[in-house]
Amino acid sequence: MTGAPIVFVVDDDASVRSSLKFLLSTVGLHAEAFDSADTFLRKNLPDAPSCLVLDVRLPGLSGLDFQRELAVRQIYIPIVFLTGHGDIPMSVRAMKAGAVEFLTKPFRDQDLLDAVRIALERDSARREQEKEVMILQRRFDSLTSREREVISMVVSGMLNKQIADQLGTAESTVKVQRSRALEKMHAESLVDLVRMIEKLKAPPGGVR
Amino acid sequence: MQPREPAEEIKHLQRCVNDLISVLALPAVWSGGEPSHIVHTLLDALLRMLQLDLVYVRLKETGGQAPIEMVRFAQSKKHTAQAREVGAVFEHWLGAGLQEWPPRMRNPFGGRDISIVSLGLGLQGEIGVIVAGSERTDFPQQTEKLILSVAANQASIGLQEARLWSEQKRIASELDRRVAQRTTELGAANEELRKEIAERKHAEEDLRSSEEEHRVIVEAANDAVVSMDERGDILLANPATKRIFGYDPVEIVGKPLTMLMPEMMRKLHENGFKRYLATGKRHLNWQGVELTAQRRDGQEFAAEVSFGELTSDGHKVFIGFIRDISERKQAEDQLRASERNLQMAQAELSRVSRLTTMGELAASIAHEVNQPLTAVINNGSACLRLLANRNLEPEVLRRALEGIVADGTRASAVLARIRAFIKKEPAEKTPLDINEVMQEVLVLAGRELDENQVLVDHKLATDLPFVLADRVQLQQVLLNLIMNGIEALIAVTNRPRLLWVQSRINESGDVLVAVSDSGTGFGSEGDRVFTPFFTTKANGMGMGLSISRSLVESHGGRLWAAPNSPHGAVFSFTLPAAIESPS
Repeated sequence: MTGAPIVFVVDDDASVRSSLKFLLSTVGLHAEAFDSADTFLRKNLPDAPSCLVLDVRLPGLSGLDFQRELAVRQIYIPIVFLTGHGDIPMSVRAMKAGAVEFLTKPFRDQDLLDAVRIALERDSARREQEKEVMILQRRFDSLTSREREVISMVVSGMLNKQIADQLGTAESTVKVQRSRALEKMHAESLVDLVRMIEKLKAPPGGVR
Repeated sequence: MQPREPAEEIKHLQRCVNDLISVLALPAVWSGGEPSHIVHTLLDALLRMLQLDLVYVRLKETGGQAPIEMVRFAQSKKHTAQAREVGAVFEHWLGAGLQEWPPRMRNPFGGRDISIVSLGLGLQGEIGVIVAGSERTDFPQQTEKLILSVAANQASIGLQEARLWSEQKRIASELDRRVAQRTTELGAANEELRKEIAERKHAEEDLRSSEEEHRVIVEAANDAVVSMDERGDILLANPATKRIFGYDPVEIVGKPLTMLMPEMMRKLHENGFKRYLATGKRHLNWQGVELTAQRRDGQEFAAEVSFGELTSDGHKVFIGFIRDISERKQAEDQLRASERNLQMAQAELSRVSRLTTMGELAASIAHEVNQPLTAVINNGSACLRLLANRNLEPEVLRRALEGIVADGTRASAVLARIRAFIKKEPAEKTPLDINEVMQEVLVLAGRELDENQVLVDHKLATDLPFVLADRVQLQQVLLNLIMNGIEALIAVTNRPRLLWVQSRINESGDVLVAVSDSGTGFGSEGDRVFTPFFTTKANGMGMGLSISRSLVESHGGRLWAAPNSPHGAVFSFTLPAAIESPS
């Protein structure tokens, strides 16, 4: 389902772009280069672990503004920043906004490759999580409204009898609904169900 | 003598009684009169009463009054003899004492013989004598003797009184005269005195008004006025002294003037003063000189002092007029400070704008050069990885190496562009006298040197060969070295701020210029001072020395630094001597 990892390079300098692609190719990474933020945004992102190697100083939208723009568009792609003359406030801002690394040109090749590797791993993990949540959500969506009611009460720690009292049904009915919901959610135990519900509640894009 | 008839006798007695009453009444007539008046009255009365032919009176001299002689003759006799003549005739009887008159004697003034009676006036005739004579042979009858003696007594009393009176009058008048005289004398003396007093008063007033005038001027003066004697002690001080120095005039009188000076000036003053007393030579401008004075609380202040001198009772008195100019000085200092601040602000502004320009330039350089460098490094690193992995595709490696060459060329082109931008004008080299350029630069830096109290010592060799150099660039190098020296000296407060400038020929025959200072030096960082952007100064750019070195090197010389002993640094550069001398 998921394709090979891909690195997106955004830099206005053609030499830098091609040399980065060449460097990344030596570790078997595929890279795609863009000369501006806008051209990158026009691209449909593939369903594959990816990261962005981004020069802070760009024509048009600056690197930091671009980072913010991506967040607004809910594009959760890890970013490795490059800068010709980065200063500390700028790097702090970038890192706070979720950047993986902030490298000053010219940088050691290993530093860049390490940063890219971390970025791809992080994106991979995020994608895994996103996928799991998506499946859980699909399963959760297949539950009846009464089943959802019952499992949310179960997760909050209520006993079958209490749930039955509150819903005004028989305890045996609750038992049936509960086991059917567990089945539908593919939960092997009550603990498993609790974990699933937690994941569903977590905000999107976060990597913990 | 024939006896008289009773009736005739009675008549005679009656006449006698009447005569006696008349005689007794005489004093009422002559009362208060003069002796002469009394004698007159007496003689007339006797001549008439006793029907005498002559009557004479002589009054002796008394108390300063001349003797009086008076005579009366019976009218019918028509004698004209004077009283003095009569007196002379009677002298024989009147001489020492009263002699016995002959009963009848020849009338010495002619006519029939006469009978003479004389009586003394006063108890023992001390007043005088009266002589009466008559041709009658019965003269003097008993009654006539009685009348004569009563009249003589009356006259004696009257005369006595008159004499007393006259004496009193005389004394009184003498007294009056004397009083009058004394009064006159006193009046004259008084007048004299009054005149003198008036004159003195006038003189005093003149003096006082002039003194008053001077006093008012001195009292009201805004400046402290302090006078001093030959020993240097204060004689007088005016009220302004209190305001300026804080001393009450009374408390400093008699004390040495030096108490108004700071410690360091006292000896100077004493020596100068002694020298002046000995030689009369003034070593200060007496019409206003700026000195430092000291207030009671020890605070020192700038004062403008003028001196005056006068001689009083053979002694010299010196007067000082001291004006507190500390406010003026402060204002001047403030003005100077604010000028300096303005200059510093301007310098800071130009530095900032220079820095901004430099910062932009640096950023631009960084970006322009970093891009190709980044590409070069990326490509190089990638090649190394491929080599390490024995992944040796010649086409891939060739493209990478082409990229490296292209990016290296591009980086060097960027630098060439920057150099071309910085190096605006080509140097214009002419033969120059390095000493002359040095003097020009010292003039340019003169203000900075003065402001920072830096003393410059020249050791400029004469007969130096010319150097072939660009005047402006050489000035820049020298100015940079001198300004660096000044900045290194500003921090120095515990020793003199000295800057040495030196020029000479070195062993290789080059012209050597050295700028040394006694400043803070550069410690262990001596070898880094020529590195661009290296600086030990708070406001330094770190470009001056590196640019200076480039400039010197572009002239075929060298610029280096060494520590100065015991403090500071020495910057030296050489320039080759010009082959040709200027024409």
